[in-house]
Amino acid sequence: MQKSTLLFLLVLLSAAAYHIGRRRSLQVAGGTVRSLHSLPSYYGYYAALWCGIPALLVLFLWTAFENSIVIQLVVSALPEELSSAPPDRIGLLVNDIRNVASGAVAGEIEPAVEAAANHYLRLKDTSNRLLSVLATFVAITGAAYARQRISKEHRARNHVEKSITVFLIVCSTLAVFTTIGIVLSVLFESIRFFKEVPITEFLFGLDWSPQMAIREDQVGSSGAFGAVPLFVGTLLISLIAMLVAVPIGLLSAIYLSEYASSRFRATAKPLLEILAGIPTVVYGFFAALVVAPFVRDLGARIGLDVSSESALAAGLVMGIMIIPFVSSLSDDFINAVPQSLRDGAYALGATQSETIRQVIIPAALPGIVGGVLLAVSRAIGETMIVVMAAGLTANLTANPLAAVTTVTTQIVTLLVGDQEFDSPKTLAAFALGLVLFLATLALNIIALHIVRKYREQYE
Amino acid sequence: MKVRERISEASFNREYSHTVGEITSPNSRIVCRNVNVYYGEKHAIQDVGLDIGRNEVIALIGPSGCGKSTFIRCLNRMNDTIPGCRVTGQIVLDGQDIYDGSLDVVPLRAQVGMVFQKPNPFPKSIFENVAYGPRIHGLVSSKAELEEVVETSLRRAGLWDEVKDYLHQPGTSLSGGQQQRLCIARAIAVNPEVILMDEPCSALDPIATAKIEQLIDELRSHYTIAIVTHSMQQAARVSQRTAYFHLGRLIEVGETAQIFTNPRHQLTEDYITGRFG
Amino acid sequence: MNEICEISGGSSSDRTIDVVHASLVKRRQAEKRFRLYGLLSIVAGLCFLVLLFGSIIARGYTAFQQTSIALDVYFDPQLIDPDGRRDPSALMEADYDRLLKNALSSMFLDVKERQAKRALYSLLSAGASYDLRDLVLANPELIGKTQKVWISADDDTDMLVKGQLGRTGAEGERRIKDNQIAWIDKLEADGRIKKSFNTAFFTSGDSREPELAGIWGAVMGSLFTLLVTLSLSLPIGMAAAIYLEEFAPRNRWTDLIEVNINNLAAVPSIVFGLLGLAVFINFFGLPRSSPLVGGLVLTLMTLPVIIIAGRSALKAVPPSVREAALGVGASPMQMVFHHVLPLAVPGMMTGAIIGMARALGESAPLLMIGMVAFIVDVPQSIMEPSTVLPVQIYLWADSPERAFVERTSAAIMVLLVFLIFMNGLAVYIRKRFERRW
Repeated sequence: MQKSTLLFLLVLLSAAAYHIGRRRSLQVAGGTVRSLHSLPSYYGYYAALWCGIPALLVLFLWTAFENSIVIQLVVSALPEELSSAPPDRIGLLVNDIRNVASGAVAGEIEPAVEAAANHYLRLKDTSNRLLSVLATFVAITGAAYARQRISKEHRARNHVEKSITVFLIVCSTLAVFTTIGIVLSVLFESIRFFKEVPITEFLFGLDWSPQMAIREDQVGSSGAFGAVPLFVGTLLISLIAMLVAVPIGLLSAIYLSEYASSRFRATAKPLLEILAGIPTVVYGFFAALVVAPFVRDLGARIGLDVSSESALAAGLVMGIMIIPFVSSLSDDFINAVPQSLRDGAYALGATQSETIRQVIIPAALPGIVGGVLLAVSRAIGETMIVVMAAGLTANLTANPLAAVTTVTTQIVTLLVGDQEFDSPKTLAAFALGLVLFLATLALNIIALHIVRKYREQYE
Repeated sequence: MKVRERISEASFNREYSHTVGEITSPNSRIVCRNVNVYYGEKHAIQDVGLDIGRNEVIALIGPSGCGKSTFIRCLNRMNDTIPGCRVTGQIVLDGQDIYDGSLDVVPLRAQVGMVFQKPNPFPKSIFENVAYGPRIHGLVSSKAELEEVVETSLRRAGLWDEVKDYLHQPGTSLSGGQQQRLCIARAIAVNPEVILMDEPCSALDPIATAKIEQLIDELRSHYTIAIVTHSMQQAARVSQRTAYFHLGRLIEVGETAQIFTNPRHQLTEDYITGRFG
Repeated sequence: MNEICEISGGSSSDRTIDVVHASLVKRRQAEKRFRLYGLLSIVAGLCFLVLLFGSIIARGYTAFQQTSIALDVYFDPQLIDPDGRRDPSALMEADYDRLLKNALSSMFLDVKERQAKRALYSLLSAGASYDLRDLVLANPELIGKTQKVWISADDDTDMLVKGQLGRTGAEGERRIKDNQIAWIDKLEADGRIKKSFNTAFFTSGDSREPELAGIWGAVMGSLFTLLVTLSLSLPIGMAAAIYLEEFAPRNRWTDLIEVNINNLAAVPSIVFGLLGLAVFINFFGLPRSSPLVGGLVLTLMTLPVIIIAGRSALKAVPPSVREAALGVGASPMQMVFHHVLPLAVPGMMTGAIIGMARALGESAPLLMIGMVAFIVDVPQSIMEPSTVLPVQIYLWADSPERAFVERTSAAIMVLLVFLIFMNGLAVYIRKRFERRW
């Protein structure tokens, strides 16, 4: 039985259990619903939960471990000369076996692999059958148990609500598990990376060229993993982006919230927010196709040598992307400044711009700083624009007209394409991911803390 | 008087059928005639005529929502900041119609200061709070002069002795009463000619209130003061004239003593004897 | 001003009002300047928007048309069906390329040289022979006849006809040579070139040949991915929002959850890609490049958005509703599910749609899990390798062919249409069900 069919069957069984539970409760009550502790439908849900949840758990666990166990069995059944191969060779072999089993390989197939593939398919089949029987059995047993438990005093509603609460709690903790998952996944691979490349070299090295040489005798055959040029490149592009986004975003937020008529605001604000909804890949395309050539030609006209993958172009477009982010956050914070402060300044005879510059902005400053930090964290983590418009070679320079590369660009270049998973090259991507995650985490936590403090101040 | 040239004779002398008492003042500083205020559809002030005299404290009293706050906010055009608010009629200060289209509100507000119901010090230091007005208006030319203005203003507001050692602490760190006196100091640092006070003591405890009331009395010699208050005792204590507002109309105006001892209008009497309010 | 001084009764010369007036002009100018800066920034922002849309539309609208060339094809029975049995498998295998080449050569008899002939044949799309094959398979009676057939042109031909390839400049640097230009001009003069609606763009999968490449594969991939994302993130997100807003006690644990959610909303998307690669693909062994893994990664990314939107929707339900429900003896669970939740659903839906729109536009994490592979087939399930629309855009943007530029722009336009539709729907729901308490 296919897993989807099995899933469907379990849903059907649970529906049936609902009816059985409900009927049973009415039976127990002898027609007087009032004598029951809970409404009959709760007894139905109670039975359905007992029917569905244990079976689903079985299904889930089985699926999670099925693959690795089957593979292990297949590998152990391989002929001696194959199973004694080194682990990475076995990995390739397992891939072959899977491909053969799924029929994706045409042409010549080694007999041993073909036999293994058949073995694999047989095992899978057995496993599926076992699972179907087991899950159905668990479902029916669960339903029967629940039916037997139903009595007048049975607190079905409390049980059902308890299970719902558990479900809600599990869902809400998913965020924590995601964070843990992120930390663990990047941390493990990073530790493996740091075993090969010392962490100090990674953090402070000035030379980044992860291309492993093909021949042993080539220069730099081990690859160089000094990430400083990447950090500098990332910061340079982010800085350019901030130089564009912060003034434009802040000033437009000020104009919209303090000067604009409500009609102007009602049109301009959503239009600006469209910028926030445009996918980053579109910005990347725009940067590579329109802005970068434009910047290069402009530079050429005034006699500057501008790279066609200049940091300036990427930063400029990234800044455009962040404008609505800065502007809508600033707008929130400016509006949170109490009217009484404005009144105070106006009553002294301050002009509107004096009030804004000298009273409102200072009052909203913590919030705005928090918002800008969040924007910085976005700029650092932004991927598509830099992948498409920034360079690939690591230049240690602060010249905005030169091509630089960034952390995210390198992660993408290192991981896209066919790589074996164990080379320092791929592991380096995870180390960069770790740095990226920690940097943005720190920025986010500081920013969110500032913003929260600020909100409390005016509540 | 030049004032009269700004308002037609007929308008200046017209009778207000719903107002009892003498609306003019022998030494008029501000002359209001035919003042109407609308918040969108709502007619918040209906046809008010009132003079405010030089060096006098006039108290505006009345039940909540009667329009007294709205009325004093007309006097320095603070109502401009409220969207949908519309003012008609004439309000003439020193011969200048302040609702004239060509008038700039900045010098007007420098001339007519205001203190609000809730103390609203800027999130800056005490010194900067007081120095703000003189600074933006360019009233001082040197740091020493600025320091002098700040000190004088804080002294006049009766706050100097309490804060002279903490001038660089944030203004928000003061107590409520001190904050309100800081706001008064801030207002008088600009050296205005009229000070409007919108229930300045409603958020304060009795001791702080007493200090402010004493302060108002002292300030009277320099400034024209209009004060909105909820407390009839306060009106009686600090003001020379009192105007009673009811549902957007000015019902009665007169000498404070007369209003409180011998009101001529039934509504005024009901209010000051505590039938409602 | 004089007047005012007079009235003040000639008091001392340093009346505040005079000092104020003295600097007023300057202050008013500063005011105007500041206001102008604000206006200029908005104009700048709007200009960027117009420039972005303008350049994409200007480059992309031509992709909705495809050039084709009319050839008088002689369906030579010798070449197609030598045994005359009309056997479909034989028809499948026949050399349709030859037919096209013959048809072209017969039109340009003066082209003799091998190299020139190759240049001539390259005017046609590499996929043209398949079109011809399908035509013959559908109408076997064509065999033996000569018929005018519209054959789709090669991308370079297409670009030249659309005027996007330069005719001038050194020949060696041009994609299209002088003799080809002459042939195309002749075809055009004979009325043998037309531009028609580019159906292939909407119905086919990816291809190395621009004229054969379409977005359907990517659209299906996006659809499957979003399906997975929606079916996971909506229930989980709503459940989490309900728990945190309605049931959770205020303690360190829930504080931790909150900090986590807020932080995850700001974690770079590529980090989620690393998570997906390490956990879903390498640890759980789920199929690489599949919409399932893509959907899982996007679920984790979208969850914070949905949870935050859900919580504010729940927060907007006034406490009086809760009190009323509890007052008639509902359990807290019944209160939430019978009374609070129905009122909060429109707000939650708005948040969910916006989250989905973001997921639809996301590409960086999907690069990490291999959805960037070159995939020709249109995916049929969530387990098959596929790509998604934004990644397709990325792939095409990287392609050197000139014709992919317009296709990339066109794909962007399609993506933006989807996004505008989704955001419009969110706005509509918000407006339609907005409630003021």
